[in-house]
Amino acid sequence: MKLNSICKALLVPCSLFLVPLGALAHHSFSMFDPDTEMVVTGKVVRWAFNNPHAWLYINVEDDNGEMVEWGFEGGAPPSLVRAGITGRTYVPGDEVTVMFSPLVDGRPGGAMCWVLAADGEYKKPADGGCGARDPENISRWEKWMEMGISSSKDPRAVR
Amino acid sequence: MLACTIGWLATIPAIAQINGFTGQAIEVVPPDREFATSDEHYQYLLEKANGGTKHTFETLPRWDGLWYTAGNNHMDPFIDGGMRGGKVREGVLTPAYETAYKERWRQLQEEGQVRYDRLTHCEPAGMPRWLLEPYNHEFINLPHESWFINDFANGIRRIYINQEHTNLAEMNGAHSWYGDTIGFWDGDKLVTNTKYLMPADFTRWSPMTSNQLELVETWELKEFEDFDRLVVQVTMYDKHAFVKPINFVYAFRRADDLDEIGYRVQHWQCEESSNSYLDENGMTNFYLPGEPGYKDPRSSTLFPELPGQTPDPFNDPALE
Repeated sequence: MKLNSICKALLVPCSLFLVPLGALAHHSFSMFDPDTEMVVTGKVVRWAFNNPHAWLYINVEDDNGEMVEWGFEGGAPPSLVRAGITGRTYVPGDEVTVMFSPLVDGRPGGAMCWVLAADGEYKKPADGGCGARDPENISRWEKWMEMGISSSKDPRAVR
Repeated sequence: MLACTIGWLATIPAIAQINGFTGQAIEVVPPDREFATSDEHYQYLLEKANGGTKHTFETLPRWDGLWYTAGNNHMDPFIDGGMRGGKVREGVLTPAYETAYKERWRQLQEEGQVRYDRLTHCEPAGMPRWLLEPYNHEFINLPHESWFINDFANGIRRIYINQEHTNLAEMNGAHSWYGDTIGFWDGDKLVTNTKYLMPADFTRWSPMTSNQLELVETWELKEFEDFDRLVVQVTMYDKHAFVKPINFVYAFRRADDLDEIGYRVQHWQCEESSNSYLDENGMTNFYLPGEPGYKDPRSSTLFPELPGQTPDPFNDPALE
C-alpha cells in the first residue's frame, strides 16, 4: 500500500477518459464524414425504430427530378425514448428536413443530427456519428437554410 | 518502474465524469494480495467470507428496475494521456496483444475512428464488454441464481450461487459469450467468478481479450452523495492478453427516467434489423435501400402473399 501511495504521488493524476456517450454505439462511425454537415428535405418512406439503431428513410427529389431514397442512421431506441422520440414520431408521407453528416463514399445517406418536421419542431434522434450535441447546430442551420445553403462546405457557410 | 506503475494503476481514482451522468469518481479497490489465477482469488474471498452468506428471498439484496451503465476506468490501465492524444502503455498487454492494440489506437488517433467493430455483425457483446455496453440492464437476484441482463443483443449472464463451475467448454466443445459464472454472497456483496469465455474485447477502441479471460467481480449497491450506484470491482486474468492480472471498476445507475415512462425491455433483434457489414476496405459500412444485402427492417418477410407478416403493425397499406 505504501508503494502504491508513492507511485501515485510520482505519476500524477489519472487520465480522464471522456468518451462521448453517443460514441458507445455498437459499430464504428468511420463510414461518416464528421467534418461535413448537409441538409436535405423529403418525404418519409420508413421510420425504422429498431435496435441496434433507428433509421429514417426519406424520398428526396434530385437535380434531375428523380426520387432518390436516402437513409439516415440515428440513436438506439431506448435512448431516443428518453428524449420523447418514439416509433410513431415519423410516419410515411411526413415532410421532413434532415441535417446529417454524409457517408464518405457519397451514397445517399448519413448520420442524422436533427430532423425538422413540417410543424417546425426539431428533434434530435441522433447517435454519435454527427455533432448532434452541438447546441448551436440548429440556430446555425436556420441561418444557413435561409441563405439557401445545403452543405457546410458551401463557402457561404461561415460559422 | 513497471511494477510501480502497475501498483499505481491498481489504486488510481477511476471513473471520469461524463456530462454529470456518471457522478462522483469511484476508486478501484484492488484485492488485498495478488493471485495467480481467478480460482485462487475466488476461493480466497470465499474463505474470507466464511463460506458466504446464505440468503433467502426475504434477506436477498434487491436491485430491481432498469439500470444504465455509469462509467468505468477500463481505459486507464491501457492508455496514458486520455482519449485524445494518449499513448498505449507498454508492458501491460502481452507483445502480440499490445501490437494489435496499438493498431486500433493508431486508427482512433489518426483516422478519428476505429475502422471496424465486431458487433457490426450482431455479435454479442460478450465479456468484458457486457459491463459497459449501453442500452438497459436488469439485475435479478434469487437465492440460487442471479440473472444479469443487458437488452443489448439479449446478453444474459446467469450466476449460479453457492455452486461449483461446470466445465461447459467440455460439454459444448467451445467457450461461450458469457461463459460459466458462479458466485456467493458476502453480506450484501455478490462475489462472482466467470470462466470459459469467447475471445472478445472491452470496446472497439480498447484491447482485445482471449478465450482465457477469467474474471472475479464484487458487486455492491453503494450510496453516494449524488446518487446510488451498483459498483463492480473487477479483477481480470488473461494469460494470453495480460502480462499480469488487472483491476478495474465499473458502475451502473438507476434508469429512473425509463422506469417513470413505463419503458420495458423488449427482445432485441439485430440480424433482421441491422444493415451494417464489414466492407472490402476493412471498415464497418451500411447497405442502403436498393443495394444487394439491404434488409428492410420494417417490411421484410418471406411471406409477402400473406397479410400481416411484416414487423410493422402500423404502416400496413393493407389496413388502409
